[in-house]
Formats: sequence, C-alpha cells, structure tokens
Amino acid sequence: MTESAPPRPAKLELLVRGEDAESFELRQVSSAAAWLHMRPQRVPEGEFELAEVTSRVDRLPRFILKNTRTERYLMLTEPERFLWGLMDGRTSLQDLATAYVLRYGQFDFDVIPLLIRKLQRAQLLTLTPGSRLRRALARNRRRLILQMAEQALTALERINLASRRVHPVFDRLYRWGGFLLFTRLAALACVALAAAGIAAGVRLWHEADVVARGLGLHPIIALLAVKGLFVLTLALHQVVHGLALVHYGRRVREFGFTFLHGFVPTFYVDVTDIFMASRRARIVTAVSGTLVHLVLGALWFLLAVASPPGFLQAFAAASGMIQWQAFVIALYPFCFIEMDGYHVLVDALGVPTLKHDALAYVGSLLRGSPLVRWGAEARVFVFYVALSAVSVAAFVAFNVWMVIHATT
Amino acid sequence: MATAAETAAFLKTIRLFREFAEPELLAFASRLRERTLRKSQVLFREGDAGDEMFLVRRGTMIISKAVTGRVEQVLDRAPAGDFFGEMSLFDRAPRSATLQAETDVELLVLDRDNLNLLIEVNPRAAAAFFQALVGVFIERLRASGNLVAEVTRWGLEATGLDMESR
Repeated sequence: MTESAPPRPAKLELLVRGEDAESFELRQVSSAAAWLHMRPQRVPEGEFELAEVTSRVDRLPRFILKNTRTERYLMLTEPERFLWGLMDGRTSLQDLATAYVLRYGQFDFDVIPLLIRKLQRAQLLTLTPGSRLRRALARNRRRLILQMAEQALTALERINLASRRVHPVFDRLYRWGGFLLFTRLAALACVALAAAGIAAGVRLWHEADVVARGLGLHPIIALLAVKGLFVLTLALHQVVHGLALVHYGRRVREFGFTFLHGFVPTFYVDVTDIFMASRRARIVTAVSGTLVHLVLGALWFLLAVASPPGFLQAFAAASGMIQWQAFVIALYPFCFIEMDGYHVLVDALGVPTLKHDALAYVGSLLRGSPLVRWGAEARVFVFYVALSAVSVAAFVAFNVWMVIHATT
Repeated sequence: MATAAETAAFLKTIRLFREFAEPELLAFASRLRERTLRKSQVLFREGDAGDEMFLVRRGTMIISKAVTGRVEQVLDRAPAGDFFGEMSLFDRAPRSATLQAETDVELLVLDRDNLNLLIEVNPRAAAAFFQALVGVFIERLRASGNLVAEVTRWGLEATGLDMESR
C-alpha cells in the first residue's frame, strides 16, 4: 500500500490596497510560511507552575507544567521544557527549530508541532504572527516616512526568485570539480592567496592617494559599479555553501535571490539540512562561503598591483577592499548581523538567540531592571552588545573615511 | 468601437448566449454598451448600488472582498469571455464585492432595462439565457464552498490549531 502525498500548503491570495484606493498589490501567502513566522507566546508568569521530577526508572528528568487557571497538568520531557522556555512571543517557530538543533544536535520534525498542540490543548499558549518591525511600522502608518518605509519594505519583500529543485545542479557542480574546493590543496591555495593579497593590499595602501585618483571624474558612479559587481559575487558565496552541503552528503533544499530584511539584495541557499551533520560540517559550511570573498579580494588586489595607475587599478583595488570587507563582516560575529561567523559563534556558545537575548538584556539593564542576574550569561550578553556596537561604529567610520578619501 | 456583428460573434463564444440564433444575437448585441477600463481602475466597490451586469471582452477583472483595513481577499478573476455583476441585476442589493481591472479591460454592459426588453421581445432566447445563468450560478456556488474550505484549511495550517484532538 502506498501512502498518499500530503496536501500542498494552502495559499491565500490577498489584495492590499494603496493609499490612493485604486493602486493595489497582490500577495500570495502560503500557510507554511505563515506558520514558520508565528511566535508562540506562553501564558504569563503566575498562570503556570513548573516542577522537575526525576524518574526513578530511567533517571531522566521530567517536568510537570501546571496551568494554574484551568488546573490542567502536562508532563514535559527535557527537550520540550527547553522549547517551552523559548516560547516568549519573540522567538519564531523557525528560531525554535534552529535552537533545538543547536542544543541537541539533531532535529525531530514532529517535536515542535506536537508540543504546540499539547500546550494549546492545555490553554498554555497563544500564537502571535510575524515580524515586530512590520507590526511597529503598521502601528505608525500615520507618519508619512514610516508609511513609505513600510511600503518600500513590502514591495522589496515580494521579490523572491527561488527554486527548490536545485540539489541535482549542486550535485553535478560538485562532481564536475566542486569537490576540489574541499581538499587540503584548496586550503593551502587559500592561505597562499590570502598572504599574497595582504602583501598586495599593504603595497596599495602606501599608494592609496594615487590609486584613488584612478577613479577619475565620477568616483561615486565607479564605487556603485564596484558594489553592483560585488552583489553578483554573493551568488558565488552561496554556491560554495551549497557545495559544502553536498560534500557532507546533505541536501540543498533551495537557492534563490531576495531582499534580506526587505532592503539588502542578496542570494541565499537553504542549508538547514546541515543541522543533521556534525558540528565540524556546520562550521566548514559556514566558513567556506566566506572564503570566496577572501580569494576574490586577494585576486582583485593582485590585479590592482599588476596594473598601471588608472581606472582599472582603482576599480580592482576598490573591489578587493569590498570583498575583504564582506569576508570580515560575514565571518566576524560581533556586528549585530546574523551571518556565517555569528552562526558559528552561537553554535559554539550554544545560545541560538544570542543577539536577541543580549539586546533584550542590555535594554533591561539600561532601564534599571535587568532580566537576569549578573553572571557568566550576563557578561556574555554585555560583551556581545558592547563589542558589536564598537565594531559597527568603527566599520561605518572607516567607510565614511574611505569614501571621503576617494572623492576628495 | 466594435460593430454589432463583431459583438455578436463575441457573444456567441459566451456560454449564456450559445442558444441564441444569429438575428437574436445581432439585435441583443446592438443594445449593449461598451466600457473600457485602464489597468487598476475600479469599476465598482463592495456596497455600491448597481443594476448592470458586465461581460469581459478583453483583459481580466479581479474580484475581491474586504477583509481588514486595506486588505481584501481575492475571490476570483473574470477573464475574457466571463461575466459578473449579475446578482445586483436581480436582487437590487448593493454590490457584494469590489471589481477592479487587473489589466486594461474592455467590457460590455447589460442593464436591467435591456434585460427586460429581451424577456418581452424574445422570451425563447431569454429562457435560454436564464437556464445557462442558473448553470453558472451552481458552479460558482460550488466554487465558493471550495474557497471557504481552502481558507479554513489555511487558517488551521497557519496557526497549527489541532482540531482533531479537541
């Protein structure tokens, strides 16, 4: 007997009218996408009690959760108690799944839906939809600037070119040479290129004024062209992530282009299947994509050094600079951006919602009512926020200085 | 502006008029008004008064119903060869949905007076018209039922509500 395929997720087609009452935008929302963005919210403190009991048979801890309003009791396992702790109305189901994998090193596709059902039946949970930013913007539509920001974000978020049938393509790419990227020889070549790139970068730095003058009469346009070319290399970054997945025998589920957070143009690859592999595999997958920027940056710097003073040299130097900036940003975890280095850090720390928790803690500290007592966890939170703030400020200052230097 | 013969040829392709003889179609076509809409133009809104039905000659109309604020649910589309607005023609109630052009659209307009004229002058053709209309009503009723079920499924899936165990 064969099992019938599960029904496709239901879709709603909505028409969102513009302010002029005639213009409109059509949006298709699948139930699966809505579900992943839900943020389960447990009942407030005081409406539940949690007690730990250890089984005398298997010696495993169990937890009894009581709804003090309805007098209903639930037995939770340790992983379920962990998930319950994260259901604060701010963590989406997608984040819950990531946190679960990072903590337990494996993923059971049923554990979250089953727990949610159990909690809903015991009236211990509500589900809150979507992005806080969007809710905040929606609340303030009367302010023209926020209304425009919301409309722009909405328009950009609609752009998503993606395919879910990409695994065979990545598989072929891997067999036709992609596997070479994951050899010792490739690692050595990377180190050699990085060293050569640093040497070239230092040499260019000493001649920075001459190099910058090569951008000619339209330095802003030239820098925008450099940025445009850089966006294309983001695709290569994601392709290498995908190849790493194939290298570890995992599946590439999706590849596409979208606007991250509604305004950052980016390519992306769905690497969630790597959670089924080892920590080493997760780290290699995260780091390998960023190495694309290291290699390309080094090549651009070498080209700049080999070129005579002029537009090509300046363009190559600017491209090398932006590639290495991308390398640092992607790998450097302390910049409030959840990129590859951040994921490695939270994997290592075992705190999947580090940024969110750290910002919440520092916010509460500034308001004079810290969420957790001062200790190792609080120190990590403060360290993360402080270092990230300093890093972002330094990065912005460096770029402002560079643009001023290149254009004056 | 299309000639009566061109309009009659178009009407022949529409299910409501398949049983009409050529002279009946020509006479009927000459009484229809033409109307054009540019893309995004609203023809009428939910709650408006109206006593006309519309046949889509070219383009696509989008049919939506208010849900909340500026958000409306798309109920259906009316492509070329389809028709809409017939409910207000019969029950004189306000429009039940908003109709807006998704593309540039050409419409033919049938008002209540012309429908009454058809009944008086050509009862055989009018009977065929109403019989076909009932068939379309039944199809749309079934489609509405399916839409309600699909929207309910969406809600259950999106919220993870477990109704089976309640």
